[in-house]
Amino acid sequence: MANAVGVWLAAELVWPALGDALAPLSYGRWMPLHMNWQLYGWCALPLVGVLLAWCVDGRHPQVVGQVRVVLGAWSLALVLGGVAWLGGVTSGKLFLDWHGWARAVLPLAMIVLWTVCAAHAWWRRDVDSGRVKGLRGVILAGLLFVPGLLYWSAGREVYPSVNPDSGGATGTSLLGSTLGIVTVFGLLPVMLRLPVCHLLSDKLPGENGQELKPICHLISDKRVWSAGWFWGALAGSWVVFAGIDHGHASHHGWAQVGGLGLLIGWVPLAWGYFRRFEWEAPARPWLYGAFVWWLLLVVTGWLSFLPGVSERLKFTNGLVAHAHLAMAGLVTSVNFVILRQLAPRREPRGNFALWQGACVVHVAALLALGWWERDYAGDLFRGETWTLVLYAVRLAAGAVMLAASVRWLAAGKA
Amino acid sequence: MFESTTERRVFGAAVLVIAATYGYFLIFAEFAFLELLRETGGVGRVRLAMGLLGVAGVAGSGLAAWRFRVESYAKALRWGAFGCALAAGLAWCGGLNLAAVGIGLSLGWLTVTLAAGLRATVGPKRLGLAIGLGTGLAYAACNVPAIFRATPQAQTGLALGLMLAAVVATRGLRTGRAEVSSSGDFEPRRAAAWTVILMALVWMDSAAFYIIQHTSELRAGTWGEERSLWVNATIHFVVAVGTGVVLDRGGLGRVVCGAWVMLACACVLLGEQLRAFVGAEVLYTAGVSLYSVALVYYPARGGRAWLAGVVFAIAGWVGSALGIGMAQDLNAVPLWFVIVAGVIVVGLLLARRRAQAKHALAVAAVIGLGSLTFPATSARAADAEVLRGREVFIGEGCIHCHSQYLRPRTADVMRWGPEKPLAASLAETPPLLGNRRQGPDLTQVGNRRSREWNKLHLIDPRGVSPGSRMPSYAYLFQEGDGRGEALLVYLASLGVETDELRATQVGEWAPAPGVSGRRETGARLFTRLCMNCHGAEGKGDGVMAMRLSVRPPDWSRDAWRRVDAADEAGTLARIIKFGLPGSPMAGHEYLRDEEVVSLAAYVRSLRGTGP
Repeated sequence: MANAVGVWLAAELVWPALGDALAPLSYGRWMPLHMNWQLYGWCALPLVGVLLAWCVDGRHPQVVGQVRVVLGAWSLALVLGGVAWLGGVTSGKLFLDWHGWARAVLPLAMIVLWTVCAAHAWWRRDVDSGRVKGLRGVILAGLLFVPGLLYWSAGREVYPSVNPDSGGATGTSLLGSTLGIVTVFGLLPVMLRLPVCHLLSDKLPGENGQELKPICHLISDKRVWSAGWFWGALAGSWVVFAGIDHGHASHHGWAQVGGLGLLIGWVPLAWGYFRRFEWEAPARPWLYGAFVWWLLLVVTGWLSFLPGVSERLKFTNGLVAHAHLAMAGLVTSVNFVILRQLAPRREPRGNFALWQGACVVHVAALLALGWWERDYAGDLFRGETWTLVLYAVRLAAGAVMLAASVRWLAAGKA
Repeated sequence: MFESTTERRVFGAAVLVIAATYGYFLIFAEFAFLELLRETGGVGRVRLAMGLLGVAGVAGSGLAAWRFRVESYAKALRWGAFGCALAAGLAWCGGLNLAAVGIGLSLGWLTVTLAAGLRATVGPKRLGLAIGLGTGLAYAACNVPAIFRATPQAQTGLALGLMLAAVVATRGLRTGRAEVSSSGDFEPRRAAAWTVILMALVWMDSAAFYIIQHTSELRAGTWGEERSLWVNATIHFVVAVGTGVVLDRGGLGRVVCGAWVMLACACVLLGEQLRAFVGAEVLYTAGVSLYSVALVYYPARGGRAWLAGVVFAIAGWVGSALGIGMAQDLNAVPLWFVIVAGVIVVGLLLARRRAQAKHALAVAAVIGLGSLTFPATSARAADAEVLRGREVFIGEGCIHCHSQYLRPRTADVMRWGPEKPLAASLAETPPLLGNRRQGPDLTQVGNRRSREWNKLHLIDPRGVSPGSRMPSYAYLFQEGDGRGEALLVYLASLGVETDELRATQVGEWAPAPGVSGRRETGARLFTRLCMNCHGAEGKGDGVMAMRLSVRPPDWSRDAWRRVDAADEAGTLARIIKFGLPGSPMAGHEYLRDEEVVSLAAYVRSLRGTGP
């Protein structure tokens, strides 16, 4: 759905008259659907799946129904959000458009998710080791604050620190959000290796046909906890984050540039950590893809933050390219690592290459447009041919990515 | 938080009376009394007693509303609490039918009196907190395992004790000034809407409560374990107090919406397929706390006895009876009922919002008329229209193509300046800095685009700016729709105070030395950017010309209007780049110097004065 809306938006940029045909559902009203459905739908739901797989007790007779209720509540929240945004009910804050009557719908869905996870964590406490219970407790305790935080941060009176020289995010904010992703990276192997996910998908029968016991074997596996260097480096990075100026700091300050540069070290570190685990064969191509995108994301993210480069790319399609590099490139690849790990199955023929290839073209077209935009903004505003061509290339790449998504959907239903 | 010890004492006493009243209702009227009825008789007796209780409750509510006097608030509460205690004593002694009448009359009296005088007692600022604390304490206490699992006789004794405690606590109350809220929420029509909303919530709660209470599996899951009871007690307390705080901040609509969502989810989850689902328990508990606080808060906020009487008689007693009746007959809450309740709740809240908007417009109109004699109020009316226009800007998602941030020391400042301090941008709620530009920055658009140009551009963007990717917003300007006009007011307000600075900035600009133009470039740009207004040969006969308030000149015949003859090339270049503020002639700030020079040279050639 989010991809379809994205293609529609890309088409409107090539043929603006299309937007008039659907008035009052104009470009600006569709944008929050594309952005938020990507973030809270496509990016979030596989992680919701990981959390459920890690928490739910497969022995419970109503586990399937309960998981459906969670996913139903989440989906309903996204649909209601879409209705609100199309109706012009929005906070005016990108990625935090939840506003008015729709402000609480996603937090409520999160509460439903948390309730189910917490209940199952409680029910299965007898079979889990103390370590697993502790980790689960800590994570669930942290997640308990998320609905309230989302509700609060969607308020119009709340706004993050701003880089005064670019009008965008500060280096500290970018460092913090990326370290959050690294933390999720670190937890993924721990949470994915629990056999509960196999119970859910009915893929792996227990030994000799006996009932599977949802015990986390990996927690006792030294490979996770012996990777102390990973967790130590992560803790160190968070300490650096805590020590950097959290106010309205400029990208001309060395601490902001240096702090963000810290992320480059996380390219080899994350790779070194992930390669310690045995991934399912169908997940591996996606894992390699994810790390290529991760490398590009971190390096280009830092370069585009540098004085001079930031001035050239901010407010242009260059940063839109970077956002797509993150979402369509990295996050999609990581999501498929998760999906293929939870339910190993083969790709529809050629779909991996189709998606990744189209994503490269998509990002390259936007980056090229963004790079020249500073000097040729007028060409973009008045729709000169070369800008149209690049937008058309982007539209074609988006359409290919949409086709790949439809094929995945069809393969999943089959 | 409190300005004096007396104030703190009054607040504490009010919380205690609320807690005792709610506790009596929860542990006795709604629970132990029913058990006593079941112990001594069959279904028929239960129904008869419940019917008596309901009718007496409505009568007691009406009586209290009729007899309410704020001066004798504490005394009336004492009589009500005393009557409740007496009814509990009667029930203990076995006079159940008489007790039912006594409970209904005295509880109806007590609740209506309590709500009607709370505003005058604790004041409007901490009203929600007092009610939230009292309600939360009552719910939490009733879920303490020792109390919850006590025998009906012991619970009856406890209820009697609670009422005696309430009698003592009323001595700490001090009645303040009798005042009522002037909000439109308490006008008869809106009060009726709120009563219906609250009734729908009571209806759903009563039905869900009855189903849980009468389904052994659900009862065991909800109240069976000691742990569940402690969890319920905690949720009740936390949610009730939080609700009180939200209500004090004007969140009544959000609270009832949240209550409906939670109760609706709980009711759906109580269906056959999903029974014993832990989420239903949590959602039900939280939803009940939300609406229970709102049920007392709404009439208390109004400070009107008749309103409290209507709310408790209809929403409380009638809604409760309907809910229990439905659960008895169907043993489920039908999905259609949940949806209808939702439509009623959301529909009436939306209607309320629209009414508020109309009210705001009416106020704005009155202020606008008043402005003929009082300039200060005129500014306020203009502000209201600017804010409305800003909402349109946000709702239409203009931020996705237009930034409102000029980066210092970059080309932004010359193109769309002058700069605006970051602090000023962040002071707006929310800041609209934007993320990318499909079109120009709008931080100071008011100093460089006329209202006329903005309107034409919004209605026909590609007619005015060929090649523009902006969709048409003609629908904002349809007859009777003021959004377009409000948006124009908002755009005009952006940078309105920077006119002089901008004029200086523009006056100092000149193309970089040594830049030369090319005729082909000039011709191409003229066709693209200027022809629609100025015509193909500069005769002022473009397709848009007739729609402008000032027709463009015919350069083959007319004199220059605003071009300095001493510096024809320079002035023309400046006009091409920055336009003529206040007129339909807009600038093309994004053009590069060689493009401006080429275009200026081409225009001069059309007039026959070019090189």
